[in-house]
Amino acid sequence: MVSYLIRRFAFLVVTLVLASIVLFVLLRLLPGDPANALLSVGATKEQIASARADVGADLPVIEQFVRWFSQLARFDLGTSYISGLPVGPEIAQRLVVTVPLTLLAFVLAVIIAVPVGFVAAYKSHRWYGVALSAVSQLGIAVPVFWIGVLLVTFFALRLQLLPAGGFPQDDWQDPAAALRSLALPVITVAIVMAASVTRYVRSAVLDVLGSDYLRSSRALGASFAEAMWRHGLRNASVPVISILGIELATTFLGAVVVESVFALPGLGSMLLTSIAQHDYPDIQGVLFVSTFAVLIVGFLADTAQRLVDPRLRASVSGNRGGGSGGGGRRRGVGPASTAVPVAALPGTTDPGVVRS
Amino acid sequence: MRRRSITLAIGAVLVGIILATAVVSFFWLPYPPSDIGGGRLAPPSAAHLAGTDKLGRDLLTQLMIGARIALQVGAGSVAIGGVLGIALGLATAFAQRWLDDGLSAVLDVLIAFPTLLVAMLVVAASGASLGSAILAIGLAMSAVVARLTRILAKRVLSLDYITAARVSGTRWPGLILQHVLPNIWPTVVVNLALQFGLAVLAEASLSYLGLGSPPPNASWGSILQEAQGTVLVAPIGAVAPGVLLVVLVIGVNLVADGLRDVGDPTRRGRA
Amino acid sequence: MKKKLGLATGIALVSALALAACSGTSSSSTKPADATINIGSVYEPQNLDNTAGGGQGVTEALNGNVYEGLFRLTDTGKVENLLAKSFKKSADGLTYTFDLQSGVTFHSGAKLTSADVKYSIEKVLADDSQSARKSSLAPISSVSTPDDSTVVVKLSSRSISLPYNLSYVWIIDSAAKNLKTSEDGTGPYELDSWKRGSTLSLTKYKGYWGTAAKNAGVVFHYYSDATALNNALLTNAVDVVTSEQSPDALAQFTGNSSYKVTDGKSTTKLLLAFNDKVAPFNKVGVRKAITSAIDNKQLLNSIWGDYGTLIGSMVPPTDPWYEDLTGVNPYDVTLAKKELAAAGYADGFTFTLDTPNYDPHPAAAQIIKSDLAKVGITVKINIITPDTWYSKVYQKHDFQATMQEHVNDRDVVFYGNPDFYWGYDNKQVTGWVDQAEQASTTDEQTALLKKVNTQIADDAASDWLYLYPQIVVASSKLSGYPVNGLNSQFYAYDIVKK
Repeated sequence: MVSYLIRRFAFLVVTLVLASIVLFVLLRLLPGDPANALLSVGATKEQIASARADVGADLPVIEQFVRWFSQLARFDLGTSYISGLPVGPEIAQRLVVTVPLTLLAFVLAVIIAVPVGFVAAYKSHRWYGVALSAVSQLGIAVPVFWIGVLLVTFFALRLQLLPAGGFPQDDWQDPAAALRSLALPVITVAIVMAASVTRYVRSAVLDVLGSDYLRSSRALGASFAEAMWRHGLRNASVPVISILGIELATTFLGAVVVESVFALPGLGSMLLTSIAQHDYPDIQGVLFVSTFAVLIVGFLADTAQRLVDPRLRASVSGNRGGGSGGGGRRRGVGPASTAVPVAALPGTTDPGVVRS
Repeated sequence: MRRRSITLAIGAVLVGIILATAVVSFFWLPYPPSDIGGGRLAPPSAAHLAGTDKLGRDLLTQLMIGARIALQVGAGSVAIGGVLGIALGLATAFAQRWLDDGLSAVLDVLIAFPTLLVAMLVVAASGASLGSAILAIGLAMSAVVARLTRILAKRVLSLDYITAARVSGTRWPGLILQHVLPNIWPTVVVNLALQFGLAVLAEASLSYLGLGSPPPNASWGSILQEAQGTVLVAPIGAVAPGVLLVVLVIGVNLVADGLRDVGDPTRRGRA
Repeated sequence: MKKKLGLATGIALVSALALAACSGTSSSSTKPADATINIGSVYEPQNLDNTAGGGQGVTEALNGNVYEGLFRLTDTGKVENLLAKSFKKSADGLTYTFDLQSGVTFHSGAKLTSADVKYSIEKVLADDSQSARKSSLAPISSVSTPDDSTVVVKLSSRSISLPYNLSYVWIIDSAAKNLKTSEDGTGPYELDSWKRGSTLSLTKYKGYWGTAAKNAGVVFHYYSDATALNNALLTNAVDVVTSEQSPDALAQFTGNSSYKVTDGKSTTKLLLAFNDKVAPFNKVGVRKAITSAIDNKQLLNSIWGDYGTLIGSMVPPTDPWYEDLTGVNPYDVTLAKKELAAAGYADGFTFTLDTPNYDPHPAAAQIIKSDLAKVGITVKINIITPDTWYSKVYQKHDFQATMQEHVNDRDVVFYGNPDFYWGYDNKQVTGWVDQAEQASTTDEQTALLKKVNTQIADDAASDWLYLYPQIVVASSKLSGYPVNGLNSQFYAYDIVKK
């Protein structure tokens, strides 16, 4: 376990550094000039040159990179070209919105999806099992912003029950007000996330229900509940945990859409603005923190899987997944198929790309 | 067996509706797309079955063009993502251990980033156009496809008879064409069908964020974004594109499920 | 066990959300002077410094509210004394002596002195200044401070617009630092906090030298799109919207007695700007033909419904030299065809229209395209980002025709600059613009600029599609807010909430 943790941590750091370099270069390759956002119609040639010098756009890319990276080494994400605000504190300010939004939606989605997915699998031959499955099918096909628009129209504009958007000026000073602002966004995200997770839970439970060990356990005299408790849940939870990890990461990063619907000052809206303005320090900062969060979530999901499934503790490093899983298992999410987030395992609906 | 074919049939009908609309839009449209003669935000009438948008353009016309665009986005990005992803996946599966490890790690990180984020960067920088959106979505998709291909290909390669074929001197192009592709193809196709739906949703989100191609050649996401400001006055523009999106994506997903079940009889009722 | 815990958390969460949903916002009724005004806008400042690219939003939020100039431009377009108690102009018009108001303090507590005024003017004139006003202050050759309350400005050439131009020069404490993210002005409000992406709040400054603000403070709430902004007004999250971006949502407010909709005068013009230096737009006939071929009235109506104005030139009605010039190049397809033929393009031609990607440009481009198709001209619409526009069109002049909104008042003088992006080069016009600035009376200035205005219309230097309306929607409890918002300024100090 210790060597696993060390290896996993090294992987995390190396990936983060590599991702930062790639990001930096890619941003500079994209067309656009950060100085333009500072200038207005009427600016003279000298003013344009001076604005470019101000943001450092006239320096060679290598020099810009060295600057940025040496700041980063001192845990300083730099200063926005456009607003003049330090990037780190602003990201922290935005996380106050995005992190609760993501976590609340995640918890709500899991609470809905686990029982629903279980029933949909256990009663898959009853009409309500089929109905639950159909509803989840509907849920993964609905664009998240559309749910948001419909909820705003109904609950905010028509019924005037909840705010249509925005976030309290004093953040969480008044938790009730903050929760009210987050209620509709959280529900919006949770609906889509729950639909997707339901399908994985259902699939995993179906696998367990059809498994030999459950059957033999029953044959040896265990009640269904006992057998399920002793073997089933643990086995079913392994693939579901990795999916939850991915869902959490994608929701965190994909929050930009729901933040846009609800005018929330979160990380996503910061990214959207800074991209439009070519504000490189801001973009780099947001993407750096996002990458970090994604890697951490992946790490936590892997570790949780290992704790749940002893078979995985024996296998090699965490980042090489299904490949080492070996032949034979050609279908579906199943126990012990992998230690990595297995978005792309054959035959499963894959939420790993977009959740929006 | 019956339920499986029902899934496939329902999916095919839903996709068929959208496909037919798109095909018709090439030959016939109720009005020229940029004709603003309909009067601002007119309610549905005999002349304008779905009413008009805020400039007086016929909404039905735009929705029909939207169907065309949605299919273009799906097909275009699946083509890019599929070709690139399968090639990359096969390459890693055949590569040396260290290269394979490195590329897999990169893919893991790439996959964690939603398509939307990648697309936002590309599109915002290069200007909103359908082409750049398709390209960006296809690129992001290729990481997922590559990883799937790699896993599947490695499994095939580890089978005994492949080892035998290797020992007897079959070179890698032969291996790929004779053994790997035929074996992994069914699973990859099912996954690509699912990616199709995800690509359509990603483009819709992109358009909703104002990074799509603007009307009159608008995607459903752009129409919805334009119409949401008047949802209390003229709700159709904000509701209809959403319904169509759901119809298409559910249709594609059902087709994928149906195909998978047909291809794999052990997966019963895994809708 | 795990499951039970999850369930418990879930119930707690759902009930928290439900509870939050039920406890409505309590709108406490307070005295007007204690009320905070919530202002909704789509123009968030990029930063808080108007000489470093703060943009339109910084003018809206801070001009007149937090910062003051020597002069103030009123909501009706008049220039009044503000921090300058009075001023004298020498007979040759080259020396201005400003007498400062007494008892003025900055929000930091420092006293306003003539040194601060000198510092502030020189900041705009500095090499690294990105102020859009820099070139208009170019005639200033020196600023001196004979005593603490007197400032003397010497000019190299006469500048009749000096007081007007100085109304945009914020007087800043010369000791102030970090003006991009903080402030030190003399206005009736001081900055409380700026939460980028969300709000900027101002509170009443206790030590204000003039008439105190009639409310306790204002909070600007920023929305990135107009729908969210209108929703905020509909749900009472804001009291007033500084400028509506489209007429579509207005139906929700016009028929509702809880809201007041005002239709004021803006200074924002939508231009179809030709590159007057490249063929075929170097021919006056072609430009006139296009101007006559586009039905501006229908265009305006499509985009703004019954709002907005046709002006037929660059000058908005709030500028002193305004004239209605819509008759110079009237909408007349037959005339347009005749002019095209006379210019040698009887069969029409094809050109690329570089169109910014945000509203209303793409829609307007479509309408222009279909109008011009009727006279045989093919338009290729090229959608570009604002960033590309600035690099390609504004800096490199690499375009045939483009669309752009010009927001400032008194900006007809851009036509006197042959190096400007549209490349209009008429020596006579350049001369008139220069003479107008050096005029000794406003009547003389007005007469000259009217000549400029008529000439550019005759030459169809650009096609001035329409003047935007300035629509403010406010809760009917609100009064005292500006309705014109010239140059997007929004004085908040007289706003009263009942």
